[in-house]
Amino acid sequence: MFSYYFMLGVRSLRRNPALTALMVLTLAIGVAASVSTLTILHVMSSNPIPQKSERLFVPKIDNGPLEGFNPQGEDRSDPQSTYIDAANFLKSGQGERRTVLYSVSAPLEPERKDLPVMAVKGLALTRDFFPMMEVPFLHGQPWSEADERAGADVVVLSLALAEKLFGAADPVGKRIRLMDAQFQVVGVLKPWRPVPKFYKLIGGGSFGVEEEIILPFATALRHETSPEGSVSCRGRAEPGWQGFLDSECTWLQVFFETRTGADRAGLQDYLDNYAAEQRKLGRLKRKQPNRLFDVMQWLEFRKVVANDSRLSAWLAFGFLLLCLVNTVGLLLAKFSVRASEVGIRRALGASRREIFRQFLTETAVIGLAGGVLGLVLAFGALALIGMQSKQLKVAAHMDWQMLGLTVLMSLGAAMLAGLLPTWRACQVTPAMQLKSQ
Amino acid sequence: MEIRPILSALLRSKTGAILVALQVAISLAILTNALHIVSVRQAVAARPSGIAGESSVFHIRVRHLVEGSHQEQLARQQAETRALRAIGGVLSAAFVNQAPMSQSGWSSSVAPSRTAGDDIPSAAMYYSSDSLVKTWGLELVQGRDLKPEDVLDIDGNTAPDDLFPKAVLVTRALADKLWPGGGDAVGKTLYFGSGEEANSATVVGVIGTLQTQGAEVAARGAYSLIVPMRKTFSSTMYAVRSDAGQQERVMKEADAALRASNQGRAIVTSKTVGADREQRYQADVALSWMLIAVSVLLLLITASGIVGMASLWVTQRRKQIGVRRALGARRVDILRYFITENFMITSVGVVGGVLASIALNQLLVSKLEMERLPLAYLVAGAGVFWGLGVAAVYGPAWRAASISPATATRSA
Repeated sequence: MFSYYFMLGVRSLRRNPALTALMVLTLAIGVAASVSTLTILHVMSSNPIPQKSERLFVPKIDNGPLEGFNPQGEDRSDPQSTYIDAANFLKSGQGERRTVLYSVSAPLEPERKDLPVMAVKGLALTRDFFPMMEVPFLHGQPWSEADERAGADVVVLSLALAEKLFGAADPVGKRIRLMDAQFQVVGVLKPWRPVPKFYKLIGGGSFGVEEEIILPFATALRHETSPEGSVSCRGRAEPGWQGFLDSECTWLQVFFETRTGADRAGLQDYLDNYAAEQRKLGRLKRKQPNRLFDVMQWLEFRKVVANDSRLSAWLAFGFLLLCLVNTVGLLLAKFSVRASEVGIRRALGASRREIFRQFLTETAVIGLAGGVLGLVLAFGALALIGMQSKQLKVAAHMDWQMLGLTVLMSLGAAMLAGLLPTWRACQVTPAMQLKSQ
Repeated sequence: MEIRPILSALLRSKTGAILVALQVAISLAILTNALHIVSVRQAVAARPSGIAGESSVFHIRVRHLVEGSHQEQLARQQAETRALRAIGGVLSAAFVNQAPMSQSGWSSSVAPSRTAGDDIPSAAMYYSSDSLVKTWGLELVQGRDLKPEDVLDIDGNTAPDDLFPKAVLVTRALADKLWPGGGDAVGKTLYFGSGEEANSATVVGVIGTLQTQGAEVAARGAYSLIVPMRKTFSSTMYAVRSDAGQQERVMKEADAALRASNQGRAIVTSKTVGADREQRYQADVALSWMLIAVSVLLLLITASGIVGMASLWVTQRRKQIGVRRALGARRVDILRYFITENFMITSVGVVGGVLASIALNQLLVSKLEMERLPLAYLVAGAGVFWGLGVAAVYGPAWRAASISPATATRSA
């Protein structure tokens, strides 16, 4: 019987074409609006590294000066680390792995004469980063421990930069001229773009573009490469690069990886002990609690999901609600003119249940049509949103999950909207209808 | 008037009326809040940066492949400034460390005393060795502009931290924040940070508006100061003002001149103030357009709902209308009946919508840090929906009025 009702439903799309088209369009617009905003919200708040997000931690200690400090006030301290702390954390041996990173921008002189000198952007970090963040290599591998200790001039390239400089060939072992020195290429990454860019949420946007180069931390320090990201200085620093390293300026991002999520308490103990020790040395005068964030807490703390995205999603759902109410009204109109048809079927022995099934199937057909059209509109809307900015472009990608949700949502919305009109249609008393004929 | 019979007829078949009223209420709630957000965002995006004639100003950045010594960098900077000033159509060029609305740059906390506490404002620190008042066309409201003799050359690698210029310019907003009461800020001493070691400088002049690099919406978006200082970095930026309408050509020539001045051993990038402004407010503009699109769709859908329901009622009541007409009702009576009925339904929706607007706004204020909705939006929104209701029902009502009395004698 279902397929017969389904056919009837498809055929009745042609009955009252204006009204039906209006319903399908209303549903489609409502569904498209909510799905496209939901997609963006979904991508922005997704877990970029689900397999170990509970084992990666960012430490935060407050190294601000005591002058004028208000313990009850808002925490204005920078969540990045000083070089002193980052170096100590690296040496600590805590957790399974640990890394420190900062953004760099370096002038690059290509050997190909047709390419101009350019500024390339990337990160300086320690080699544990690659296995910690599960960075995929296309060619080569991370630099060796010996290179890391020596601060050797080695570099890992993004695929895009490698292709720009060397074409499709494997460039491992070749040299490039960076920061007025010869760097040896040790690896090329596969396209790698976690969303949000959880490993670097400070300075440069949470949905930023791919890193072009990755250098050893020690190498960047040896070249006195100043940070491209945010630097927050409190208190006085001695002049020059060494003075900067010895200062209380915060500019580095640190990550620990523990073996299991349960090792968090141990790491917290280490952090508390470390802070107490530093206090004895005359630092960290504020005695603020030392914090540890796992990846999802870190995204939350950095407010990665913008209020504007939430606002859009809320309004879109309000809009969907309006579309639903509208569809209820239109369906009522469409079904009410068919009272005589229902009367005849009832008189010929159809039960209320059968009528209910028939009309609900018909509603589902409308929902399906609205869903398919909504999907098309949602793709269009996302393409439009993606054009607004690079950041949104990354977030505006529909995945299979959202695709399924679109169709389900439209079907569900239509069925929900169809319940009342269908119920009303079932209330038709056969006698009344037959009498008036 | 015939309100009582209409009301009792309505109360007998409530479903359709409730649906229409509900649509009006939901639309009104979303529309008022959406349009309010649009107007707030557009006002934010239209704020002046402080740069006069933005379309005539651009910023050009040079990054040298080899950093070189402080002396070499100073010499390069002077050569580059000369090269820029030699371009035809350049009115003024100034070394500067950052640009308003560019979203990255230097800030410092500033305080009116060494013991001011933690709650001191952070202000954008613009360094320049030339007159930004001239190049950016800033308005000087008190005191004097910075002079060449105020400028201090600082070698970032060797200079002690307490080497610092003694004169600064502050914006009106920053002066009012540091020394409330609106008095004369000129001559006052300003501290960079707090505590014994904080550097200090004397305010020599007050400028009208100069937004920070972040151009924040909060008050601190206007807290800026200009320090007469030339600090050398491997990357140097200049602000350039060109003759009106010459910007595109001047930008191209400036790019070529700076490349030539460095024999190609430099990376040169330039950006107009307009481009900075566009990027800063991209999200606001995008959100505005989305909300405008939603508002138009809301109105269309609500109108279609009213038309749909009214048409249905007309069809259902063909016979009654025929009877009324046969009993002597004029066309205008029928027309008035439907319009009055719709007006009553819309009114219920408008009342519900006003309450829902306030509730939605409350939610947005408390959860998403949006602004409170002014009363005018509610009044205007109510007016729009009353108008929309009448306009939407007019077509179906006219059709009802055209039903001939003869219908009364036919069976349904």
